[in-house]
Amino acid sequence: MEPLKIPATGRTPEVDFDFAAGILRLSGESYPDDVATFFGPVFAALRSFLEKPGDHPVRFDMELLYFNSSSAKALMNIFQMLETAARDGRSIAVTWCYEENDESMQELGEDFAEDLRHVAFTLKQVPADGAS
Amino acid sequence: MLAEQYAAIKRDLDDKGIVFSFSGYLSEGILYSLGEALREKMTLEETDGPTVRRVFSVFVEQMQNIIRYSAEKVTGSTAKSVELSAGMVIIGMEGGKVFIVCGNTVINTDVPRLRERLDYLKGLDKDAIKTYYREQLREAPEEGSRGANIGLIEIARRASEPIEYDFHAMDGERSFFCLKVRI
Repeated sequence: MEPLKIPATGRTPEVDFDFAAGILRLSGESYPDDVATFFGPVFAALRSFLEKPGDHPVRFDMELLYFNSSSAKALMNIFQMLETAARDGRSIAVTWCYEENDESMQELGEDFAEDLRHVAFTLKQVPADGAS
Repeated sequence: MLAEQYAAIKRDLDDKGIVFSFSGYLSEGILYSLGEALREKMTLEETDGPTVRRVFSVFVEQMQNIIRYSAEKVTGSTAKSVELSAGMVIIGMEGGKVFIVCGNTVINTDVPRLRERLDYLKGLDKDAIKTYYREQLREAPEEGSRGANIGLIEIARRASEPIEYDFHAMDGERSFFCLKVRI
């Protein structure tokens, strides 16, 4: 399956989904003026990837620094898709990165992870890069 | 006269600790530009990253609430309409804390539901807000809400003191709504 690569903009995250390698990554900030327009193609690509049977383990790196509440809903959608695929037997590991001292982002990671039963979820503290 | 008149307005803003103020038509473009200026200013003042993001988060949710729910809007007739919504946003410092005030007109019939939501949020402690956020994250959005509920929870969650809000009747149809958040 073709990779999905969307470069970051001032208010949308970088999407780097290497489906062949099973390595998916979202990084940066997310507060699009229209959440549905931005996340629509992301959901579609992810859904069709997860629907195809595969024994390749999937790694999802969430490296977001900030997202608004409408993006939170979109992220929840992604988590639910991943959980469903993991429940159906796919090996899926999600790493949620947050900068040291950023308790808000750490807690948000826990909010998403709360009802994951089949996805292997890890919280990972990374050093602050000094930028906001 | 001219300079004197506006100097008085400026002095009044300065005295209230107001750093940024904007009144007029707000759009997603203005949100972006004002937000960048806000973050740059805080970063120059060596505010730590998590605090900058907390303030920024409240700012974005407040601005998007105005853009989406202000009862005073201009929409173009072109295919790709820009949403211009009247309102005001004020950011300042008070007792060492950043505060953000947003104001916009709302339809009177929407007031009871909004007040009820805010009263409910105000009554929750930190842990209860977190639990409520988690619940709402998993809920399908209400008809016509465009995600307002979780936005208000996000605001309450980042606030360091209980949120303050008020409604001022303008006429038989509209009220002015104000929300003040200290971070």
